[in-house]
Amino acid sequence: MHGFCGRFLHVDLASGRSVFRPLEESRLRHYLGGVGLGTTLLHEYAPAGVDPLSPANPLVFTSAPLVGTGLTTTAKFAVVTKSPLTGFIADSLSSSHFALELKRLGIDALVITGQAPSLAYVSIRGQHVEIRAADHLKGKSPQDTESSIRAGLSRPGVWVASIGIAGEHRVRFATISNEGRHAGRGGVGAVMGSKNLKAIAVQGDEETSVAHPQEVEAIADVLRHRSLGSLTDKYRRVGTVANLAVFNRLGTLPTRNFQQATFEDADALSGETLTQNHFSRRHGCAFCTIRCERLFKTRGGAGTDQRLEYETLFALGPLCGISDPEWVLQAAGLCDRYGLDSISTGGTLAWAMEAAEKGLLPEARALGLRFGDGGGVLAAIHAIAACDGVGALLAEGSRRAAIETGRNSSDWAMHVKGLELPGYDPRSLKTMALGLAVSPRGACHNRSGAYEADFSGDVDRFHGDSERGGMVAAAEDFATILDSLIVCKFLRKCFSDFYAEAAELLSQVTGWAYTAADLRRTGERIHTAKKLFNIRERWQPEDDWLPPRLLSDRLPTGVGKGVGLSPDELREMVRGYYQARQWDENGFVPQWKLQELGIEPATH
Amino acid sequence: MMPLMEDRSSPPGATAIVLAGGKSSRMGTPKALLLFDGEPLIVHVVTTLRRLFPEVVVVAAPGQDLPSMPVTLVRDEVAYQGPVGGICYGLRASGGNVSFVTACDTAFLSSRLISHLLAQIPQHDVVVPHWQGRLQPLHAVYRRSVLPLLEGQLARGELRPVFLFDKVPTRRIEEEEIRLFDPEGWSFFNMNTPDDYSEALTRWSEASIPCTVELFGVARLVAQTREVSLVLPPEATCAEMFAALAKKLPVLVGPVISPDRTRLVDGYACNVNGLQFVRSPAVSINPGDKLVILSADAGG
Repeated sequence: MHGFCGRFLHVDLASGRSVFRPLEESRLRHYLGGVGLGTTLLHEYAPAGVDPLSPANPLVFTSAPLVGTGLTTTAKFAVVTKSPLTGFIADSLSSSHFALELKRLGIDALVITGQAPSLAYVSIRGQHVEIRAADHLKGKSPQDTESSIRAGLSRPGVWVASIGIAGEHRVRFATISNEGRHAGRGGVGAVMGSKNLKAIAVQGDEETSVAHPQEVEAIADVLRHRSLGSLTDKYRRVGTVANLAVFNRLGTLPTRNFQQATFEDADALSGETLTQNHFSRRHGCAFCTIRCERLFKTRGGAGTDQRLEYETLFALGPLCGISDPEWVLQAAGLCDRYGLDSISTGGTLAWAMEAAEKGLLPEARALGLRFGDGGGVLAAIHAIAACDGVGALLAEGSRRAAIETGRNSSDWAMHVKGLELPGYDPRSLKTMALGLAVSPRGACHNRSGAYEADFSGDVDRFHGDSERGGMVAAAEDFATILDSLIVCKFLRKCFSDFYAEAAELLSQVTGWAYTAADLRRTGERIHTAKKLFNIRERWQPEDDWLPPRLLSDRLPTGVGKGVGLSPDELREMVRGYYQARQWDENGFVPQWKLQELGIEPATH
Repeated sequence: MMPLMEDRSSPPGATAIVLAGGKSSRMGTPKALLLFDGEPLIVHVVTTLRRLFPEVVVVAAPGQDLPSMPVTLVRDEVAYQGPVGGICYGLRASGGNVSFVTACDTAFLSSRLISHLLAQIPQHDVVVPHWQGRLQPLHAVYRRSVLPLLEGQLARGELRPVFLFDKVPTRRIEEEEIRLFDPEGWSFFNMNTPDDYSEALTRWSEASIPCTVELFGVARLVAQTREVSLVLPPEATCAEMFAALAKKLPVLVGPVISPDRTRLVDGYACNVNGLQFVRSPAVSINPGDKLVILSADAGG
């Protein structure tokens, strides 16, 4: 088999047993790797209705056919599980050396079930699997955990994915971290923590077999060359933080818990200002030519460099009314150290700030939680990670915290399906509004990228209609394929005809013949399989919806001033989406569609 | 909320021919070298046409002094034979089957009108405007196939182009139709005397389009500035804005603006007033517009 390994490893922490199992060729052909393969294993291993934080919820790590081929931006892996934040599918990606080493184990996936009797870590060296005590790692940051495990194993070539204290405490938006990066969204770190699993250390020696090496190298050369051109200038020369000033200008920068879509102090936090005043160095994932990561200097504390992306910058900055970059960098550092999803952290804190302003949550007010107070943000992040005081409530995420708090506070809990919104105001990006509403993993900007239509000039971004349904479906399928091959989304524009070129690449890697049409259909199949998991977990039509604030309040500032999003407008777009998907009018997948896509009974 | 924008795309493969070899006797000084908008008049005309045509041919008199320009330069074989001679030499040198012919003193060319004339040519050999009772052979489109007829005229000493129009399928564009694209007919304004020149300068300063360009991301970092003010020619498009921006901030040429200065390089986008993203450099710009130059790639 080429590109794939044809097997996966199942480790059960309760029994301590591990077993390599074969993966049938048809599954790999039809679902690829990454999110696709992970979704099928989730269907297979997760009992219906499983509590996400129970031992029975599987935590699935997957590799993918392009990983290890030398193609730029493909050093990535996916984590798939049932989300403790949403109760639906969580599929998160991370990248770099851990991804390469996972593949070098000679497996396509690692499925972890059960719960260790006490804090443990799994060490996998080739065929050898060991579950080791991790009491000495308790409370350590992911960075310290990695260092400690690597030092303890005293051999080079070990790469580690781990959780911070937030994962240990099962904060519902805890991450799994490796090499300073995170599988960030949906609380995959909480699932890992619920298994008493602090870390996974991998070391392999198997190379990815490629069917036609010369042809693959030729394609890789072309993409490598394109990845160094103007198409990726933004990522290479400023980083994703470049979004902030632009989004502010376009009236789509969520500010003070989505009460505004412009931030008066955006200049102070802009990527351009950060680059001029705080830039320290540029970094990248293993074997990536784009190297989008930016590290910025912090003033206080240890004076360390802090990695910062747009989503973290928006969530811990304008969303919380914070305008001093120093506070944002420190807050981002805490999220990294504790292993917290910075988007959900910012979203939950912004909810709490507004609640405190409205006279609720006196404990949050005492902590200093108010818009614009950087000290309050830091104090609250400490409290969340430790699940201390009001931190225990906030550790549940904005949806659960609002339900528990009551007093209409759900009206300003800015989430979809329990996942806090990313940094795009849906009222001034109507295609994105639909993408956020219907995404199987909740409010997510990475699983459809529907904003691209809004920024293309092809549609009126201030007005939604049923035609957006097809655009969102296409964007979702595109993202699904990228997440299953796996190719970084920052390379997406370097393909001149994505499906044709990706099909050719996949064919040359695997030796299996794919056409552009095959790949399009595969994207639809995988996305539908994700949706089926949610339906199995009691998804209802009302879950494909947006928070009340977005449907009642018009934008008060910016170029979109006065623009709103009415329930009818959203309903029309959702209807158009179901129609484009050929699902029934309530968003359920008809049997004939499953047959057409070749989705096996085991998956539904 | 989102005004409709006009797209003034240029036709593929057409050539522009500029006749520059006149005597300028009433002006008293070579018209081609008159200073206009900070540059010689012919440079101004050629720059405008370069935004619409991949090839510009300039027909000059033997020995005539001209500034250096990115054009195909040909000389009259026999000087001062009038427009027919110039058109003949221009058509011979042109690479395309269709040419727009004008003079070097037409400071107010309208890309909209020129595009309209070119759009009519498939069914005709000549497209010529008829403005205020006069045909405008030096603001007209000619098919290359008329060259033998013009050469015949030249041999016979028939130096007025209008003789051609009775012999080949010719489309006359009447005044009402012209006004749809150039309401005041400034396209046909020639500078024959110092008073004409003075009037043109006044008109230019009154009809120019002030606008602001805001730079974001890489563009801002490269240019080391956030915003620049520009004054664009009447009826300017985004292509003209890019050219003016390139002139003001040459450092953007290459990283952000294409080497021919008519568009942004791949990976960059333009938005008007924070509202509408524009895809074509042929979109028109209105006075007071704020043009936003940003990465074409959102997300992350």
